Amino acid sequence: MTELIEQFSSELAARTAALQGAAAAIRLPHGRRVSAILWRPDVVVASEQSLPQREEFDLVLPGGAQATARLAGRDAGTNIAVLRLSQPVSPPVLVPGEAQAGALALALGADGSGGVSARLGLVNLAGPQWHSLAGGLIDRRIALDLRLGRAEEGGPVFSAAGSFLGMSTLGARARVLVIPAATLERIVPALLKDGRVARGWLGVALHPVAVPDALRETAGQPSGLMVMSLAEGGPAAKAGVVPGDIVLSVNGAQAVGFRRIAAQLAPDSIGRTAALRIVRGGSVLSLDAVVGARPAA
Amino acid sequence: MSAAPQVALAVALRVLVHATDPARREALRKLVIDAGHLPVDSPLTADVVLSDQVHAGFAAMPEHGGQGLFTPRELEVLGAIGDGLTNKMIARRLDISPHTVKFHVESLLRKLGARTRAEAVAKAREHRLSNTVEL
Repeated sequence: MTELIEQFSSELAARTAALQGAAAAIRLPHGRRVSAILWRPDVVVASEQSLPQREEFDLVLPGGAQATARLAGRDAGTNIAVLRLSQPVSPPVLVPGEAQAGALALALGADGSGGVSARLGLVNLAGPQWHSLAGGLIDRRIALDLRLGRAEEGGPVFSAAGSFLGMSTLGARARVLVIPAATLERIVPALLKDGRVARGWLGVALHPVAVPDALRETAGQPSGLMVMSLAEGGPAAKAGVVPGDIVLSVNGAQAVGFRRIAAQLAPDSIGRTAALRIVRGGSVLSLDAVVGARPAA
Repeated sequence: MSAAPQVALAVALRVLVHATDPARREALRKLVIDAGHLPVDSPLTADVVLSDQVHAGFAAMPEHGGQGLFTPRELEVLGAIGDGLTNKMIARRLDISPHTVKFHVESLLRKLGARTRAEAVAKAREHRLSNTVEL
């Protein structure tokens, strides 16, 4: 039994040592830092929410060498930021793998002086795709049963077999999430090419409301999304939407939640017409908005 | 953060001001100085950190089951409570009877699980922040 535990422990340590070359540290103001993934010889991937708005970053590479990198693009929707290193390095090849609930996950971070920090936990959840509050589509909902320091966010997460599961990210109430390898594979090339990810935009802030009883029959549904505010000159404003309107559906998709509406605003929706069904002052009306591109935050 | 402190502290605090926007940082530094405290540049020497960055974490788009949602009228009443209005004043503002206002307020307190108007306003603000999505 003791042998088994020792074996388990030394295997983990060996795994960490073999993979630590994939984690770098990004220096932030006031002596703080975050972790990042050495994705390709000259490409670094980090957690978008953890990086201040700037163009140049100082990094500490595995082993302790200093490096500089330039922001290549950032996408708040999927929490992915991409930096390009001024000098290429030789990181370990990341072999993508699928997260499995109940399996072990190893989350690595950079300690800021060239070393590694490691966390071990279970894959708490490996669910279906989801939309972030900022409108991005994440390929799988992966949550980890471990704690992560702020400085460790953005590091790589591996399976017990050493396959790459994705990038660690702090979610609401400091829950540890993983942006899956599949999402990184999809978004990183787009960010390297265009610096941003295009996403459909109506220019409205929406809040779920109950449709008043008197209108329920006309509306044909118990709830909708009320327009709280409009972006000036945005697609919805141009279409004649006003604050207080209750959106019932977009392109026939019922506005009983945000996800179905967000799904109508995929990148290919830009420039197309979105048919809005709206309740205003006791009657239902239809308005056509031309979907715009979401401006950078 | 905006109001001058009500109680004068015996000692000046060393405050690290953290804001991404330089103009905002300057304004916050000035506020710190005006309040009799000392702005510093390192977290090692600071007593407190004043930051305008809220780390809410990367969150999912909220989803609701359609249960317990407010009606547009209830949202208006909630806004009026937040402005500090009494039931009588709310009735005048929305041009409805005080009896109807009372009915809406009771419904609001029940839906929010709040005992007082102040608690309702605080809970409603949090609810609104976490359930309003820009699309």
